[in-house]
Amino acid sequence: MQHSRYSETFDFERQRQRQEELRLKNARTGVNLFQGSWIFTFVALIIANLQIRSSSPAWPPAGVEKLEPILPTIATIGLIVSAVFARRAFRALKRDDVRGFLVQWRVALGLGVAFVAVMAFEWLTLTPAPEARIRLANGVEMMSVLTQYNSMFRVMTAFHGLHALIIGVYMWNVYRGMAQTTLDGRKLWSVEAGAKLWYFVVIAWMLFYLVLYWL
Amino acid sequence: MASITVPMSGAQTAPRPKLSEYLRWSVDHKIIGTQYMATALFFFLIGGTLALLIRWELLTPALDFAATGSIYNSLFTMHATVMIFLWIIPFWAGIGNYIVPLQLGAKDMAFPWLNAFAFWLIIPAGILMLAGYFVGPAEAGWTSYPPLSVLFSGDGQTLWIISLHILGVSSILGAINFIVTIKNMRPESMGWFQMPLFAWAQLATSLIQILGVPFLAGGLTLLLLDRVAGTAFFDPSRGGDVLVWQNIFWFYSHPAVYVMVLPGMGVLSEVISVHSRKPIFGYKAIAFSSMGIALVGFTVWAHHMFTSLSPSLRIPFMVTSFIIAIPTGIKIFSWLATMWGGKIRFNSAMLFSVGFLSQFVIGGITGMMLGAIPLDIHMHDTYFVVSHFHFVLFGGSVFAIYSSIYHWFPKVTGRMLDERLGKIHFYVTYVSFFLTFFPQHIVGMQGMPRRVAEYAPEFQTMNIIISISAFVLGISTFIILFNMWWSMNHGKIAGPNPWRALTLEWQTSSPPPSYNFKGEVVPFEDPYGYGTEASRVYLDEMEKRLTPANLLGKTGDGGNSSEPMTGD
Repeated sequence: MQHSRYSETFDFERQRQRQEELRLKNARTGVNLFQGSWIFTFVALIIANLQIRSSSPAWPPAGVEKLEPILPTIATIGLIVSAVFARRAFRALKRDDVRGFLVQWRVALGLGVAFVAVMAFEWLTLTPAPEARIRLANGVEMMSVLTQYNSMFRVMTAFHGLHALIIGVYMWNVYRGMAQTTLDGRKLWSVEAGAKLWYFVVIAWMLFYLVLYWL
Repeated sequence: MASITVPMSGAQTAPRPKLSEYLRWSVDHKIIGTQYMATALFFFLIGGTLALLIRWELLTPALDFAATGSIYNSLFTMHATVMIFLWIIPFWAGIGNYIVPLQLGAKDMAFPWLNAFAFWLIIPAGILMLAGYFVGPAEAGWTSYPPLSVLFSGDGQTLWIISLHILGVSSILGAINFIVTIKNMRPESMGWFQMPLFAWAQLATSLIQILGVPFLAGGLTLLLLDRVAGTAFFDPSRGGDVLVWQNIFWFYSHPAVYVMVLPGMGVLSEVISVHSRKPIFGYKAIAFSSMGIALVGFTVWAHHMFTSLSPSLRIPFMVTSFIIAIPTGIKIFSWLATMWGGKIRFNSAMLFSVGFLSQFVIGGITGMMLGAIPLDIHMHDTYFVVSHFHFVLFGGSVFAIYSSIYHWFPKVTGRMLDERLGKIHFYVTYVSFFLTFFPQHIVGMQGMPRRVAEYAPEFQTMNIIISISAFVLGISTFIILFNMWWSMNHGKIAGPNPWRALTLEWQTSSPPPSYNFKGEVVPFEDPYGYGTEASRVYLDEMEKRLTPANLLGKTGDGGNSSEPMTGD
């Protein structure tokens, strides 16, 4: 009797451990699938962009200034560097180096905030879009074409910025949680998830950046 | 699983969860599955009512019942949207939720909380959709083509867009859950090719959803901005392009028709094999053809746009559209070969599956006809198209849904559905379905346009036949609803495995306990190995283990001959 109870306790431990492993494996697969899936909303917007531009006589239409790429390029480089730091932070944590994690995660977050700020600035200071005038003039052909270039830019950057903000808030939460408590498996996973989602933000932006500024 | 985590005696009486458990947040996949199915059935009745109102209007050539064309527009728009997004797709998510983890011998889905969340998105989305009626309903058709959907439709169209957005998120989360569950949570002894074909079908469906729905989400975002933020992405007069919407929408929505029919094909693979008492013919062919359909389904979208496409682009899309008939044909012939020479039990589940076979073939062949460019240009936007897709969506998906209800109702409730009522339901549905939709081929070929409330007087005889059959078809729904309601408490006790099926969902009590399986699960080596000596031994053994006396949990103490399911 004694023996059997003993073995059951042992079984229970092993079972719990297996459950925990499965949970982590599931979470990893789930996040990968989500990334592989949701990136296609960005692709859909790119397709819309390409198709609208192909049906327009010139792109940007005559009379519209081409987007200035210098500041966004710097911001993009900053974003890529922030992904590198997010990765380094995660690796530091895997080595149990909480201090190193906190520092590098903070750098990643800071660069992310800087990126969002630059793009928000670009969004707001875009030559006041002629939409307003369009509605008053009620469909003047030449002016109407002007709206597409700018509103495409605005939709795409805003859509991306929204994702960067939401995921950034999640990363900030992870940071706060890590700064306050000790390390365990679940925390490690939430950091890994944060880093992975941040890569997603970076890759989605790389696609948009190419389409908006260089194609 | 160690015995101390499992209340052993819970398996025996297999009580059904209380009604209140279905009305609140729950993370049990069986409760969530039932919630999905019940919600979907509710929307089925709403969509059906809208359909009958359409048929009521079409009894006469003139505009009478619907006071204006707008009302008629909103009728068919809401009918299609409700039926597609709130009936068929959620129902498959529901039955998949209930059955797939059981078939894999898992305790639950991979992400129980996410699963509940995905379900609870459906209800606000459904309310938003129906709320359109209070602010001027959507009336641009379920395809919502601009400029119709931007410039002319009521504010309900905005709600329609938001609702679809929410449903899309729900679909993606549900699909991720299915894929992770199927990939990671099979028992060790179940390889990919020992997996039941219903799980394969759900896997293919989920892959379509995670790859397709994001396109819909992107398109809907642009459409929403065009409606509320004054952008002009789809307005050619301001430099936009209406074809952007058509491309993005159909890139999702054509694969979405396979989302609606692939799980049905999975149901057929189960039902036909079990009730023919024969191994499924061409297991791998069926599994791979599901994947093939999912894949090729993404390359055919422009056949919905033949009349707006430049002629040189039509040919490739015609070819891919024809190619998709190949995996479908592989399935059809595999099912026929499964039935061939089997000891077929023509019960209600089997009848609906055989009904699916006959009706779906008609729908598939008219699909090929429409895939041919010259015929399509002649017949596009006529009732021929309406007839075609009702043959695949009603004669296909809904028949499969009925089949799945007759097949799995005993598992879900522990009681059998009444067979006599089931057969009456089948024959009434089959005949009235055929008489509702087949004549639409004829009026369509003669040129009666779809989505128009008024029609030429010479079509009236046909339309009266169609409408009367449609009313009978509508009433026939209540036979199965009554059957379900009555059998819930008065049906024959089903026992764990009334069909003597080999898949794992039958190797536990009916309804399954909240933890699904007592102990470690041992799947039979071949989920469809019917008719062999080994399968007979396995089923007998499982039957012994699942007798009420054994499930009472007394086995450990007494001298009962059969051993408990695990060594714990």
